[in-house]
Amino acid sequence: MTDTGTPAATPPATTALAYELAGVAHVYPGGGTALEGIDLAIAPGEHVAIVGANGSGKSTLLKLLDGLVFPDRGTVASFGRELTEDALEEPSFRREFRGRVGFVFQDADVQLFCTTVFDELAFGPLQLGLDADRVRARVDEIAAALRIDKLLDRAPWGLSGGEKKRVAIASVLTMHPDVLLLDEPTNALDPRSQVWLVELLADMKGAGATVVVATHDLSIVEDFADRVVALSEEHRVAADGTVQEVLDDRDLLLAVNLIHEHAHRHGSLRHEHVHGHSTGHDHGHA
Amino acid sequence: MIPALAHIPDSTPRRRASRSLARRTADAIGAAVAEVLVNSEVAARPGLLQRIDPRVKLISIVGFAVTASFVHSVSALSAMIVLTLVLAAASRVSPVSFVRKVMASAGLFAVLLAAPAATAWITPGHAALTLGPLTVTSEGLYIAVRLIARVVAGAGFGLLVVWTTRWTDLLRALTAMKMPDLVVATLAMAQQQIMSLLRTVENMHLARESRMLSRGTARENRGWVTERMAFVAKKSFKTADDVYDAMLARGFAGAMPSLVRLKTAPRDWFWLSGCTLTVALLLVADKMGNLR
Repeated sequence: MTDTGTPAATPPATTALAYELAGVAHVYPGGGTALEGIDLAIAPGEHVAIVGANGSGKSTLLKLLDGLVFPDRGTVASFGRELTEDALEEPSFRREFRGRVGFVFQDADVQLFCTTVFDELAFGPLQLGLDADRVRARVDEIAAALRIDKLLDRAPWGLSGGEKKRVAIASVLTMHPDVLLLDEPTNALDPRSQVWLVELLADMKGAGATVVVATHDLSIVEDFADRVVALSEEHRVAADGTVQEVLDDRDLLLAVNLIHEHAHRHGSLRHEHVHGHSTGHDHGHA
Repeated sequence: MIPALAHIPDSTPRRRASRSLARRTADAIGAAVAEVLVNSEVAARPGLLQRIDPRVKLISIVGFAVTASFVHSVSALSAMIVLTLVLAAASRVSPVSFVRKVMASAGLFAVLLAAPAATAWITPGHAALTLGPLTVTSEGLYIAVRLIARVVAGAGFGLLVVWTTRWTDLLRALTAMKMPDLVVATLAMAQQQIMSLLRTVENMHLARESRMLSRGTARENRGWVTERMAFVAKKSFKTADDVYDAMLARGFAGAMPSLVRLKTAPRDWFWLSGCTLTVALLLVADKMGNLR
């Protein structure tokens, strides 16, 4: 990715972790545990998949990483600085942190709030205080890279689901973040758009960005992740390891409700096997 | 993408079974979405008003609408109504659709509001028409017609702006005219979220209908619609929170800076001069009593 403007944030200290969570617990405003006892460290440049069943706390974890919600117990630190409401009230830190971390929401409709796609892409850089020429350059660069340059004059609400997702991602990439957080990015995407997204995540790896993706779509995990963190339905970290370590552990995946037992017949032959939402399986017979 | 309900039905007259409240609500929602889409299509046509700079158009048309509230003669107001029709035609807006929309949105309301003023109870005077205990006076009739004409003229000008200007350009014009950023941003978000919620409501109604074997009683339908309204209200609060989070995530700190730089062309100044002259003539003629 070509940097056409001054970096929004100062470069991260090489020794500091992108994220360090210690004993984090979070309770929903109406009661009910969202996360419990989360210890997690993410190094700069890592590509991490947070997997877990619906309701396991993946989205809340991403919001904690983006400083949109805060832990009820424990601490969340990013690049050596603890993320608290008070810290994010400081204009200089807020600007630095928001410029460094980009968050792509699960529902593109909530993320697209400007009148045109152009304004959407320009929103972040303008908030970071970049001048008009740099903002335009960034918008042009990212729009061309994500092939949405023909949509710049359109209103976001009139776009298709795939186009909205591209614009939502582009609206974050124009801020040139060091860290990209994506919540269920393949939701409502057609197969072609899913392939595009996986390729984009691979490009991000090449660019050295830290990427954290919350998903229950296991089919994309091995295409982009170095590491997988599985959340249990008890809202705790059930496993943290390489893609192979986690995805090859059938008992674990069954326990966290990412795959399920499945039985069916082929003529007179009845057999059972585990079945994921998107992982393929071999029947071992014609 | 145009929702199925938003497609304009063919004009072949046919007998329709009476529809449930839920179905009518779904149809109304589809029509609301369709209207926004049709408006976008009208705003993209190569018409007279579509070519005018949005700021100049906003100023001139608001000027006409304000003038309509100042002139007193029915003739002047009638001339302004004719002007809205001429501008609609010159802007490739179907006069039939235009008149129907103006009358549906403001005309009928104005008639209901003004009707009592025509009676001798509110405006004593010379009896023009007597219907049992009800007497319509010529003075009252004049007042009522003037009020209706004023509302129709104002609504017509307002509708011309809305139909011939893309929503995004209208917001840009408001920004360029120093409308507070937060107000413009709120308007923009409101439209987006209304569209999003409309689609949600439409899908809820369709999902219900696809699982219904009978139409249900009117009471059941009312109950369901009421319950869904509560659900949508709750969802809209959550959506508002999510949108705010999305803004914070991209660095929002209370201001909405913009790169909008609109440029005027000679035709915009020509148009503005013509509008100013027309308004001046109308005001002078009205003041001098040449028009009644």
